Amino acid sequence: MTIMLSKRDRTMASLMTAARKAAAAIPPLWPLATSVAVNPFLGQAGEPLDMAAVRLARLTGQSCTMPLAWYATKIADGVISRGDLDDALAAQLSSIGRDDVDAVLARPHAASHIPGVAELCAAVSGIDWPGFIEERFGAWAAGHFDEGQALWAAPRERGAYDAWRAQARHDLTPEIIGLEGFARFVTSLPDHADEVIARAPYLPGLDGDGAESYFQQLLISIGGWAQFARYRQWQAELAGGDDATLLDLLAIRLSFDLALFRIYGPEIREAWADSVRRHVAPVVPSRDIQVAVVLQSALERSSQRLLSERLSTPVVQDAGARPALQAAFCIDVRSEVFRRALESLSGDIQTMGFAGFFGLALEHRGTASDVAELRLPVLLNPGVTSQTTTAASTDADLRIRARASRAWGRFRNAAVSSFAFVEAAGPFYAGKLVASALSRAKAHAHHEGKPAFHPSLDLDARTGAAETILRAMSLTSGFARIVLLAGHGSSTVNNPHASALQCGACGGHDGEVNARLLAELLNDGGVRDGLVGRGIEIPGDTLFVGGLHDTTTDEVRLHAADHLSPAHRDELARVTRWLAEAGRLARGERALRLPGATTASSIMQRSRTWSEVRPEWGLAGCSAFIAAPRHRTRGRNLQGRSFLHDYDWRQDRGFGVLELILTAPVVVASWISLQYYGSTVAPSLFGSGNKLLHNVVGGIGVVEGSGGNLRTGLPLQSVHDGKAFVHEPLRLSVCVAAPREAISEILSRHDGVRALFDNGWLHLLAMDDSGRLAWRYAGQLQWTACDDRTVVARDAA
Amino acid sequence: MTFHALAAIAPLVILGCAIACAAGPRFRPKLSLFLAEAGALFAFSIALLSAALLVMDGAATDSFAVAWGLGLSIRLDAVSVLLFLLVTFIGWVVVRYAARYLDGEERQGTFMAWLCATLASVLLLVLAGNIGLMLFAWIATSLGLHKLLLFYAERPAARRAARKKFVLARIGDVALAGACVLLFAAYGTGDIASILDQARAGEGGTAAIGAAAFLALAAVLKSAQFPTHGWLTEVMETPTPVSALLHAGVINAGGFVLIRMADVMLLAPGVLAVLALVGGFTAIFAAAVMLTQPAIKTSLAWSTIAQMGFMIFECGLGLFPLALLHIVAHSLYKAHAFLSSGEAVATVAAAKRPGPVAVPGAKAVLRAFLVTLVLYVGIGIVFGMMHKSPQAVALGAILIFGVAYMLAQGFADIAPRKLTRWTAIYAVATSVSYFALQDLFAWMTAGALPATPQPGALEWAVLVLAVTSFAGVAVLQAMFPLWAHHPAAAGLRVHLANGLYANAIADRLAQSWRDRPAH
Repeated sequence: MTIMLSKRDRTMASLMTAARKAAAAIPPLWPLATSVAVNPFLGQAGEPLDMAAVRLARLTGQSCTMPLAWYATKIADGVISRGDLDDALAAQLSSIGRDDVDAVLARPHAASHIPGVAELCAAVSGIDWPGFIEERFGAWAAGHFDEGQALWAAPRERGAYDAWRAQARHDLTPEIIGLEGFARFVTSLPDHADEVIARAPYLPGLDGDGAESYFQQLLISIGGWAQFARYRQWQAELAGGDDATLLDLLAIRLSFDLALFRIYGPEIREAWADSVRRHVAPVVPSRDIQVAVVLQSALERSSQRLLSERLSTPVVQDAGARPALQAAFCIDVRSEVFRRALESLSGDIQTMGFAGFFGLALEHRGTASDVAELRLPVLLNPGVTSQTTTAASTDADLRIRARASRAWGRFRNAAVSSFAFVEAAGPFYAGKLVASALSRAKAHAHHEGKPAFHPSLDLDARTGAAETILRAMSLTSGFARIVLLAGHGSSTVNNPHASALQCGACGGHDGEVNARLLAELLNDGGVRDGLVGRGIEIPGDTLFVGGLHDTTTDEVRLHAADHLSPAHRDELARVTRWLAEAGRLARGERALRLPGATTASSIMQRSRTWSEVRPEWGLAGCSAFIAAPRHRTRGRNLQGRSFLHDYDWRQDRGFGVLELILTAPVVVASWISLQYYGSTVAPSLFGSGNKLLHNVVGGIGVVEGSGGNLRTGLPLQSVHDGKAFVHEPLRLSVCVAAPREAISEILSRHDGVRALFDNGWLHLLAMDDSGRLAWRYAGQLQWTACDDRTVVARDAA
Repeated sequence: MTFHALAAIAPLVILGCAIACAAGPRFRPKLSLFLAEAGALFAFSIALLSAALLVMDGAATDSFAVAWGLGLSIRLDAVSVLLFLLVTFIGWVVVRYAARYLDGEERQGTFMAWLCATLASVLLLVLAGNIGLMLFAWIATSLGLHKLLLFYAERPAARRAARKKFVLARIGDVALAGACVLLFAAYGTGDIASILDQARAGEGGTAAIGAAAFLALAAVLKSAQFPTHGWLTEVMETPTPVSALLHAGVINAGGFVLIRMADVMLLAPGVLAVLALVGGFTAIFAAAVMLTQPAIKTSLAWSTIAQMGFMIFECGLGLFPLALLHIVAHSLYKAHAFLSSGEAVATVAAAKRPGPVAVPGAKAVLRAFLVTLVLYVGIGIVFGMMHKSPQAVALGAILIFGVAYMLAQGFADIAPRKLTRWTAIYAVATSVSYFALQDLFAWMTAGALPATPQPGALEWAVLVLAVTSFAGVAVLQAMFPLWAHHPAAAGLRVHLANGLYANAIADRLAQSWRDRPAH
């Protein structure tokens, strides 16, 4: 008996390990109010794309690359050159050769995924069990994770598994549809999710190696719900705790399979045994997948070749004199268009790129708000707190007004009062309809007051922060009279995905608060005095101004009033004119890419149009990350496809700044790039589907249509213009102007970041002192020289 | 022949737009989109013109090719003109919205074509001067909607919804056809004005009562009353403009037909009582379900079912002008709500900012109800409530219960004084607005719609039942946070959240889940 028990315990322990591993492979999903891009391959970062691709193909039937025919077109069109393909073939580790590429392109094989229990039951019963489970799971999960849509919220004081069991005991739907005895079955389930997971072997064969793969398949099958639970865990872990919701969801999803197997077990036993065999079998990339990955790499080499050519085109550059304006923007690829436009107006204008939270990991509270906004990269914990400064009476008044309008909203939506609401207020919606139809409706108000640190920081802390940030920006000398710090945000209406267009480094908020706070910090006389002692001398006539770059309209709003300086009045007026002119140029350039944007003014209109599904392209097209001094990229049209981070390794003692860049902005950029990649190559798995069908659920996310899985990633309309994908799926090329020994040394200390490069989720190229992309990271801390063929000319500068 | 026939241009123009969209390119059809919006605006201006004609010349029917009252005839009166204005206005908004929203969609031209075709059918329905034309337009409307519901025919859930809707709509068609046959038999003409005149004189006999019963059945099916509502909760399987379009006379066509044939309906008090009960139950049931729905469009759909229930309930009480007000008011609100449903993320986020909601205790709720009763009496005196029918008084009471909920929120012990003041202002403004609009609609439809009859024993029973039910729900609603999370309510919540399984049963009957996605 004891032996039996211990064997059972061992099985249980190994199943729990498998469940935890499967859960760890699920990426988190941030709620839509503060969404940030997430790498959908986060759980697969430890293996290369071909392994991840074959794994996901086994589990879902979805491909992690574009269709082979798509690459064939790229070859035929000459986008992928023979050289690109040869280089890609030479660099890969498998035995794929040119012949294999030709053979596979001529005759691709369709691989099938491993059918799960629900699918097998559907095949024998004719009832769409996977669809039904998705619908039922979604109906429960939507209520459970609801953050304020339903007035009568689901009870949730208990954990997810408990809450589900409590409601599934009452739900008659499964019985009506034909899952007999389901409520009784749920009642008979154990009290703890772990014990349900331990019952996985009730599905014969699931006591050993196949469990992890099967669990992963189950978690993927519940889509965004699993990822939202992973987000809860992520937040808990950041705070030093843990959260078991994800394992609860696994237990719930497993319960459906167990229930189905009780009914259909005898009919599907053989097919199921086959599925288990396939789960147990090792993951081996097929030739088709290897070829697709080689073609993908070749395409990326082609894009790097073009980038290299672009970077090495000689351009005339002004140098030396003190600029009239320095303007720092977020590294976001959308800034590149605007920065180029701004610099084109005058040689006196210098722009810089830096992560849009400007080094301030803020927890901020707005006016009349109890909500703590985390305006920082989601990898970090907040370091400072701030709030909008408002007179107490104003704050109280605004609060009352907000509460009154909330009471009105509840009146509109409650059971009996909704009838009174309609008959008393309904006719007035005619006016609202006209206003909205003509895009005259009010955009979300942006009249937030001046932010301040709260509690305030002492001088030492302020000076320390200022020094760290300036060094990270490589901005320690040569200050202009006006230094603009521009965060960015977007203005759209009726857009559930609005926060996805905001600053990713500010946790899905705009970057205005951070920019204004940094300007305040750097205008502080005490801080400036302290900085002198630390080797940074800011001239007395330098004024820092915070602002916001609206990426939808390309307008820049300045907050010069935060720090009034009559001495700078005329220059500020000139800066305002420059910004307006740059906005016009940038809109003109963007209008060419946006369908239906005939004029620059129609771009402004888009930000207020309630039926606009493509207000702007966001970061679509992103393909490179360049950490280098601006003069390496200045004057070159990078087409809004590059993250630009200012970095001068000669100023970087001990390469601390480089370490920061590689471990923070590069990782954030990789999440963005891979989110776009995933949403393009496998929209039904990694994308959030069709905007026309989006149904906002619980205030946290969208489902497509009437229910089912929470959808994650980018909507189809965000990567596709109706005719073709506007985002070319490329893994990000990170180009760093720094000695490669220094880069290697940093990678050797950061396994997570190194894994991204070693497994090819990102490319790493080192720029030499002449601005040439000279070295390619080959993995395992090795570098190879870039072929001369890929570099046409040398930079004249 | 008068100028009233001008109105017929509107459906013709929209039909022309539909044909243009169908004939034009399907992808980014620039010209068709321009034509469709211009056509919709033109139709709206015709509606305005018709309203002016009505004011100047009074109500009339214009006939073109008519035998026994059947054929092509257009009726302009307060009922049809109000709906004409409503449908063309919302039609314009929806067409304009869809033109941009579906940009880049592979089959946008097709979508716009069916959108316009459905709109043209609805216009014909509301303008029809005879029952034959009305029946034709009724069927055409639902066929157009069917095409729109299946815009993404590859989606199994879309097919599930469309199939259920299709079956119900055909039963509804048969019911309306039956009603038309009986009306013709009873009155010897298909002309709506003549039928209404005769019915108002008390003629029609048993056939008319049968016709009323069939009309009621058709209305219940069309307006998604319990238990035939399931498909409406799945209509978000097709692009958002369709949900808005439903409120341009599609989902409320049932109510419209009841209002249109009000004089006939009044001949059958039993049928009206049943309508009041079905509508009243649907209103309470669906409003309760709505409270549990975490997805915005689904919640709006349940709200539509509830509001349609309330409108049918008003018809059942013989309060036809109020039902008409309800159709207009609800359509405007709900079309806006669906089209702006993308704001849900911002709305939920905004509700969290100003801190927790002040929950009223039992005393505050009691106080709120007492104050609203006083308010009701006060406003009632101003608006001459003494001269109104008991049905209207009862309905006013039901609505005032709703206002009590607003006040209760402000009366909560922890609510600041200023919040109390705001809710009080809202409460008074809402009540005044409601009674003013009620009087306005009664005045506008004075000649076109019959007066509410004196209640008999049956009507009194219905009234008492309705007022107590709504009052009960209103009290429960106001005290909601105090009981909703009690474990005993958990089971009730699950059953309600699933709409009492009516849709699951419909799915089982329709074998919905046997329709598996094609791989």
